[in-house]
Amino acid sequence: MIEFTDVHKWFGSLHVLNDISLTVTKGEVVVVCGRSGSGKSTLIRCINGLEPFQKGRLVVDGFDLGSSSVRLRELRMEVGFVFQSFNLYPHKTALENVTIAPIHVRGLSKAEAEVRGRALLEKVGLGDRMQNYPHQLSGGQQQRVAIARSLCMQPKIMLFDEPTSALDPEMINEVLEVMVSLAREGMTMMVVTHEMGFARKVADRVIFMDRGAIVETADPETFFTAAKSERTRDFLSKVLHH
Amino acid sequence: MFWLQLNRVVGYWPVLLKGLGMTVALSVLALLIGSVIGFALGILRAGPNRTLSRAVGLYVDFFRGTPFLLQVFIVFFILPQVGIELSAFTAGVVALSNVAGCFIGEIVAAGIQSVPAGQKEAAAASGFTRAQQMRLIVLPQAVRVVTPSLVGQFVLLIKDSSVVSAIGLLDLTRSGWMIVQNVPNGLLVFGIVGLGYFVICYPLIWLSRRMERRGQAPVL
Repeated sequence: MIEFTDVHKWFGSLHVLNDISLTVTKGEVVVVCGRSGSGKSTLIRCINGLEPFQKGRLVVDGFDLGSSSVRLRELRMEVGFVFQSFNLYPHKTALENVTIAPIHVRGLSKAEAEVRGRALLEKVGLGDRMQNYPHQLSGGQQQRVAIARSLCMQPKIMLFDEPTSALDPEMINEVLEVMVSLAREGMTMMVVTHEMGFARKVADRVIFMDRGAIVETADPETFFTAAKSERTRDFLSKVLHH
Repeated sequence: MFWLQLNRVVGYWPVLLKGLGMTVALSVLALLIGSVIGFALGILRAGPNRTLSRAVGLYVDFFRGTPFLLQVFIVFFILPQVGIELSAFTAGVVALSNVAGCFIGEIVAAGIQSVPAGQKEAAAASGFTRAQQMRLIVLPQAVRVVTPSLVGQFVLLIKDSSVVSAIGLLDLTRSGWMIVQNVPNGLLVFGIVGLGYFVICYPLIWLSRRMERRGQAPVL
């Protein structure tokens, strides 16, 4: 589904992605962790074309992102993206946030989109909040609307860029629960997060990045108990301490 | 004496009313056309195409940086020399719409730039085209931010319309000139003319201030 081959990216002289090769298959849940500035957000932002890269090959659901003729819009219809800062549309209600793209991008009728949207908002536990505007919702609620908004496009892949980092601690779990159930339903997911509990529970693979490179790739069990790299163990000792 | 003069000025009410009608017609037309121009310029100005943005910037700065009276003269007296002959009314509407478009364009561009980058990213990530991102996500938010300034700009537009009396249009200001030739009390005549402008402008000033105090425009 997602295939990186020797991908490089530079911001000026800064080498933000260094020789990334990585394959994610259908239904796989991959957690990406690493210090801030290690390139993990950049990595998943490349997957839906929010960031360009300069060298290498990246194919997502059959779309070759390196080619200049890539139809980014069609790709993005198949790839959901959840942002750290939610980025809900402030002038739209929760339900409108969820239905606007299916209506205008997928061409669904308003009624069809609303049936789908209501079901998804129910699913993320916000059945009673459909008519609220984002500013009337808590952070955790906003992020759940954002997840429903992505799901309403019925994507094949879901990308999460630190979805719980902007949340107060007591709201993290309500968002993680939604993500866990999504993972268990077989969604192909790449999740940038520091929530190691989530990684343990549902990840098929955990990736550790440092200075733009993938340093370690392992199943969660091995990753947390027998990481090969010194840098991974050092990182883990810091994030698992609390 | 004063009461007699006031009585005579009031006797000219058809002229005043005609002038007021012309001022309102000019302002409303320029407001509509200027808004269309302004939104187009603003979108280009805030757009990703650097060259286009700079070209628009230069155009806008030229008209913001030259006296409006001069622009009216150019449209009315100089364009005919290159074969574009306009009636005084059309010339007035053209000059006024253009200058309004320039000011509105700068306001709209600022509004577009005030919408957080994350909004455009979220819209792009959902698969919206550039035009859809602008129409559905960015502009509605930008308009809310700039509505108080836009309404304030409309007030300036109405007042600027008085300049076109210089090319012979019988607007509110010129009707004052005509009356003062028969009733030699400038203070009185232009006081009444000023009152006419104030009556149109004050509701807008009030609206603009109220929206600014609320921090945003009402949901339209």
